[in-house]
Amino acid sequence: MRTELAEKPVAEAQQPESMQPSLTLREIAIRYGFLALLFGLIIFFSLATGGFASPQAAVFILQSVSITGILALGVTATLVVGGFDLSIGSVATSAMMAAAYMMVILEQNALVAVLVCLAIGAFVGLLNGLIICYMRVPDLLATLGMMFLLIGLQRIPTEGRSIASGMTLPDGSAAEGTFSPAFLALGRHRFDFFIENLVPASVVVLLVLAVLIWFFLEYTRFGRMMYAVGSNARAAEFAGAPVNAYKIWAYVISGVFASIGGILLAARLGRGDIASGTNLLLDSVAAALIGFAVLGAAKPNAFGTAIGALFVGVLLQGLTMMNVPYYTQDFVKGAVLVIALVFTFALLGRRN
Amino acid sequence: MKLTRRHLGRLTAGLLGATLLWPAAASAQDMPAPFDNPGDVEIALVRYLSTGDFFQAYLSGVEAQAEALGVNLRVLDSRQDAALQADMVDQAIALGVDGIVIQHGLTESMKEAAQRAVDAGIKVVAFDVNVENEAIPQIEQSDRDLARLALEQAIEDNGESWKAAYVYVPGIAPLDRRNETWMEFKEKYPGIEQVAEFGTLDNPIANSVANQARSVLSANPDTQVVFAPYDEFAKGVKIAVDEAGLSDGIKIYSADISTADISAMREPNSAWVATAATNPAVVGEVSVRALAMLLADEDPGENVVVPPTLITQQLLNDEDVKNMQELSQKMPQFAHADVAVPDWMPLPERD
Amino acid sequence: MAQSVVFNIAGLGKSFGPNTVLRDITLALRAGEVTVLMGANGAGKSTLVKIMSGVHQADRGAMQLEGTSFLPGTPAEAMRAGVVTVHQNIDDGVVSALNVATNLVLDRLNNTKRGILFNPHRIRSEAREIAEQMDLSLDLSANVNELPLADRQMVAIARAMAHEPKVMILDEPTSSLSSKEADRLFAFIDRLRERGVAILYISHRMSDIRRLADRIVSLRDGRITGLFEDEPLDYEGAVNAMLGQELSAGHAAACAASEPIFTASGVQLAPGASPFSLALGMSEVVAITGLVGVGKTQLAEMLYGLRHPLAGSMQLDGKPYAPRTPADAIRRGVFLVAKDRARTGIVPDFNIYKNMSLPFLPRFSFFSITQRRAERAAARAQIENMGIVCRSERDDLFTLSGGNQQKVTVARWLSQPSRMLILDEPFQGVDIAARHDIAAKLRESAKERATLLFLTELDEALETADRILVMSEHTIVGEHRTSEVDMARLLAEVAGANMQGAA
Repeated sequence: MRTELAEKPVAEAQQPESMQPSLTLREIAIRYGFLALLFGLIIFFSLATGGFASPQAAVFILQSVSITGILALGVTATLVVGGFDLSIGSVATSAMMAAAYMMVILEQNALVAVLVCLAIGAFVGLLNGLIICYMRVPDLLATLGMMFLLIGLQRIPTEGRSIASGMTLPDGSAAEGTFSPAFLALGRHRFDFFIENLVPASVVVLLVLAVLIWFFLEYTRFGRMMYAVGSNARAAEFAGAPVNAYKIWAYVISGVFASIGGILLAARLGRGDIASGTNLLLDSVAAALIGFAVLGAAKPNAFGTAIGALFVGVLLQGLTMMNVPYYTQDFVKGAVLVIALVFTFALLGRRN
Repeated sequence: MKLTRRHLGRLTAGLLGATLLWPAAASAQDMPAPFDNPGDVEIALVRYLSTGDFFQAYLSGVEAQAEALGVNLRVLDSRQDAALQADMVDQAIALGVDGIVIQHGLTESMKEAAQRAVDAGIKVVAFDVNVENEAIPQIEQSDRDLARLALEQAIEDNGESWKAAYVYVPGIAPLDRRNETWMEFKEKYPGIEQVAEFGTLDNPIANSVANQARSVLSANPDTQVVFAPYDEFAKGVKIAVDEAGLSDGIKIYSADISTADISAMREPNSAWVATAATNPAVVGEVSVRALAMLLADEDPGENVVVPPTLITQQLLNDEDVKNMQELSQKMPQFAHADVAVPDWMPLPERD
Repeated sequence: MAQSVVFNIAGLGKSFGPNTVLRDITLALRAGEVTVLMGANGAGKSTLVKIMSGVHQADRGAMQLEGTSFLPGTPAEAMRAGVVTVHQNIDDGVVSALNVATNLVLDRLNNTKRGILFNPHRIRSEAREIAEQMDLSLDLSANVNELPLADRQMVAIARAMAHEPKVMILDEPTSSLSSKEADRLFAFIDRLRERGVAILYISHRMSDIRRLADRIVSLRDGRITGLFEDEPLDYEGAVNAMLGQELSAGHAAACAASEPIFTASGVQLAPGASPFSLALGMSEVVAITGLVGVGKTQLAEMLYGLRHPLAGSMQLDGKPYAPRTPADAIRRGVFLVAKDRARTGIVPDFNIYKNMSLPFLPRFSFFSITQRRAERAAARAQIENMGIVCRSERDDLFTLSGGNQQKVTVARWLSQPSRMLILDEPFQGVDIAARHDIAAKLRESAKERATLLFLTELDEALETADRILVMSEHTIVGEHRTSEVDMARLLAEVAGANMQGAA
């Protein structure tokens, strides 16, 4: 082995000089292929269906992906440090149940409900991180376990009932609390943006979080270190980074983002719905993985994740407008994911 | 503070329950075998679907009626795993239960398991799943009647010609039966024009359906009626209608009801105007009563149909109904079905 | 000693591209004899082993096994012919999830003539047969992953013995064993020797070599530079031949030590090792040399806060120094260019400037927001300074050659002023030109700090350092000024001669 390593430099030394700095056609395809495809889709749907090309439809597509988008941004943080979080879907639905429980049964106000949800998300993330970093449980298994745990846990306080105002409690009395209007506004309020009542609060939350996490990962030293940890944890450790702390923080970010998704879900539905959240998980993971292919990044990145979520949203809403049945949509979603992954690993992997 | 109050409530409920058991036990002698000694009778509820308010309420009905009879109830929940559900029937056979209620499931997977139970001398009733077995009475909440009641109301409100969007996922037995009625109605009233069909069971269902409905409504802004014959669908459509600001022009007709549905229907300017429903708790009670009649060697009939009730927004507002409990109180036909009630049958207590 | 020659190598040569790795190797292995092959990293040991075991094919020369030509195309072919190799990594030799018995007969299970069904009784009896032949007293039903390392190694060897080999190659089999475990392994190897197997034993460990060797072959730069078989064996001569005789002292312009910047006293690295002290002066370049596995990397990692000394204390700049993490060390100005850059140095997904600024991000950040302009400027300065061949500072690291990658990792730590710069094998996997560039830059910039190099190759040490310390058995055993180095004493210390007396 050693001898082979030793002779390599001689063979490769000239190579960098012979490379041309201009982009080849293939590199252009790798870089802008997915964005071009997205624009192509938008143009296609605009021509094929009435009502697709309008500010309302654009905002609505953002709204339809806001919850999975937020979850996807969170899971991107764990992907960056080389981990994975399967518990986000159930963190979201647990947060939704917790919000409903706080307001409907414990009769608390919106602020308390939001804070409790965020605390639950942060706590679950912390727990995931500790189990993965200190108990040495592989990330997929640890978060899978957490997922099942939460699916069960969210049913315990109400003995499996969904939570709605006036519901009958296990002891026979009726719940007297209601969702506070301030909380519901998170899901229903619309801000004026050129057109009156155009942009829903959830879209604003999505955009703000997307910009925040993008800036955090790309431009702060913490984000840079998280990428270093994901790429070569030992090298990061030798460069003085507290590797475990970064990993744990990534899971906390993921948990908090998932709980924000859960809060928006509760605000939109106006009740606490028993749900496993597996569809939320799958859609958001798909968005994050599609994000690998955007701009030829070949690594988890917040911008790519946002585009990935948008891509799925455009596709699904366009297909629904064209009256395509739901199972075809699942198929299309899966096909896009497979193509994106092939794109990432085959085309980009060849560079290495 | 609140917690202690609830604890007290739970305590009194428990005490009340204990005292209620007394008369049931005292009158046990008057009941036919094997209910003269109900403590020895064990029945099993084998479930396919359990998530959601409907199934929760159904379970509470089963529990209430089992308690009224004084029999032991065992709940086996396969959580949408068809193969597991069949195994659970075998498990119940092995446990030596006297009767089984099969709640939902797939004909293909349950047919043979049900036959094995019958062969083992166990009495079986099936709710909302056709196990193709003459010895097994079918409990039905009559999905056709549900759809018919809701659609008749739609005709009454909107006349005989309107543009409709329809929410449907094929392959789910009750939805398929409701779909048959919808097909008949479209044939009968050619003025009904279906402009879109959509639907999904991705959970949370209401959220996914809302996303779809938004697209459908922006593609078809002239839609007048949405027929969403499952309350989770209707909730999703209502969210979409509100978000699109179309609640003046669109009316939603659905099936099934829950407390959350009541508040959604009663929201100011709600587009959700009517739903047809059977009380799931009553269906649960009827299931157990039918099984009890079988155990006492009485015939409940091949099909035990629990009749549905039409519930309109108007009616809820007029009576100021806030939850399922009040709905039962104010609409006695909703609280109790006169089905499978021989003289000896003890009924659950009501308030 | 008049045993028959089992394996013969004549005029063997091998090149990879323009690099000649082995030249004119001629060597005979005899039955019932342990031939030790010594060689520094890159001397060509592994390539020789790979040719013998059928992984690589030779370009020139011939091999003969028991008089007939031996040209294996695959490892399996070599094994069938009777040349068996047990690799350094124990877990390549055993399947840890299975029990001892199954491991022992595993190769037979792959035989296509065998039935499909798995017969535990037959396996047990076959395994017992093998174990008895080998005097292997182990619980056959124990799972391999529950065994101590030495036992696993013995299972791997016994498994190889099931092929009834004529030649057995053991590639650094003790590298992960404790001395007690190694003793058991040696007894086992003695039995192999008695059974008449010709053994080629590759090791750096002088204690192993003293215990086992019947003869020693030294390899250097792809050539056999020494063959020692006369009793008593000349261990120092072998080390000398391995490290190179043409060592000329005083390459480096020796620099007189000024006031000490770093001191360590009574530091103990490993249980049972003798404590030692160490002082480094400002602007001094010190090399610590010694064979592989004598604790050089442990010492480097201890100075950098990655491990903690069992005893002793350290001072830096006159203040106590006890780093708990690398971050502590970096704050105090102690930097480490670690061994094996692919594992510990490089972030492969990052480009050059991001790799360089990695440990110093706080210094390149304004309210935690990275200042890319400053990072890139610093990286450009280092690219210029070190002569790194690349298109720009935004090149991804995997596009660079090994030498340039190493320059990037060294340049990273030169980009900021340090008090003590530690480099562990900085010339590993680096061509001569890059090695000279790196050494020159190290000396050039050594003014304001202490520089400590860990080097196995003596000539590298002589070329770059003012002072050379020798490590053996986890302690420092000798000290030399490069200007007045006593080569004989130095080589004796490397070979562990005085340790023989001390222990």
